[in-house]
Amino acid sequence: LALYFHIGEREEKCIIEDTPSDTLVVGNYKVQRWDIHKHDFLESAPGLGMFVTVTSPSGEVILSKLYGPQGTFSFTSYLSGEHIICFQSNSTRFAVIAGSRLRIHLDIRVGEHFLDESAVQAKDKVNEVHVRLQHLIEQIHHVTKEQDYEREREEKFRKTSEETNSNILWWAIVQTLILISVGIWQIKSLRDFFISKKLV
Amino acid sequence: MPPRGSRGPLRPLLLAWALVACVARASEITFELPDNAKQCFYEEIAQGTKCTLEFQVITGGHYDVDCRLEDPDGVVLYKEMKKQYDSFTFTASRNGTYKFCFSNEFSTFTHKTVYFDFQVGEDPPLFPSENRVTALTQMESACVSIHEALKSVIDYQTHFRLREAQGRSRAEDLNTRVAYWSIGEAIILLVVSIGQVFLLKSFFSDKRTTTTRVGS
Repeated sequence: LALYFHIGEREEKCIIEDTPSDTLVVGNYKVQRWDIHKHDFLESAPGLGMFVTVTSPSGEVILSKLYGPQGTFSFTSYLSGEHIICFQSNSTRFAVIAGSRLRIHLDIRVGEHFLDESAVQAKDKVNEVHVRLQHLIEQIHHVTKEQDYEREREEKFRKTSEETNSNILWWAIVQTLILISVGIWQIKSLRDFFISKKLV
Repeated sequence: MPPRGSRGPLRPLLLAWALVACVARASEITFELPDNAKQCFYEEIAQGTKCTLEFQVITGGHYDVDCRLEDPDGVVLYKEMKKQYDSFTFTASRNGTYKFCFSNEFSTFTHKTVYFDFQVGEDPPLFPSENRVTALTQMESACVSIHEALKSVIDYQTHFRLREAQGRSRAEDLNTRVAYWSIGEAIILLVVSIGQVFLLKSFFSDKRTTTTRVGS
């Protein structure tokens, strides 16, 4: 767990994972709290937990759990799209304490990359190649899923562009019609007005 | 997901493998950077490790962000303002915590979605050569080349997905803007034309009789 960043005590930090459907996402995290006395981040803070909330692209919350200061969470995406993973500590202390921060270590793995290390250590040559092949097959499945997802997105993109196109055309026609009809109404109205005022 | 406990006698081997594998890490995160905000990430890197930082702005405003990479001494290794996409490779000159920051402080009200991929070290070889007596068999070499090809396919797919997300974000922005501006223009058109007529009528509506003829 190497990459880390800082957030405020009560702050919620979200990251976005754009994944195809039916993909397993696993996240490892570790949270540390800043100690004012030692001027360093404590190795483990008792009672410190982390709310992990995962929202699917349709807005539905698919995971919402309180984990300890260190943990692993995982979810499988049912829909394809942007999943939002949010972290918030369960700290009830107000952020009045100056310089109070949390350090969050994070590692998120999407799709493949699941090497079963214990099986790899098997002395049997055939087994080792077999395991590698399984891993490769998983990778290929991931590539295929991404391609299907890409097709969905391209369709959405094309729909948006076509909608923009027809919007422009439709509104241009409407505006021209408004222009013409209002112009005619203006002239008629003014003519009637001047005639009634006996100016013409 | 099957439980990953019960590794028993393989635990020390696993630890050794994990230590070796720790040298190579890749973290890719997509996050939202609010306006006037700066987000920093830190990573501990050993000396001599080759690292690559790649980032891309996916949605928001002019699709640009400031990026800055510093080594443990605070020396700025990489600094670019308002960049849409860039890739930077460097070799860690000393042990310590490296820090890289993305800043949206120049923007007043647009949130940006930024993707970055920080790769530390090279990937471990698929078939480690410690206990090796012979060279790789054909099967193994085939596995290695397929693995490399698939890695590059996945890499290209990620880049394509990001570019497509960016294009789609622009298209959706355009669509909304066209819709709102058209409606606004139509309303302004109506309001102004009708207003003009009534204003003109009001010029001639005073009660004083006037004999001057208006414009022939």
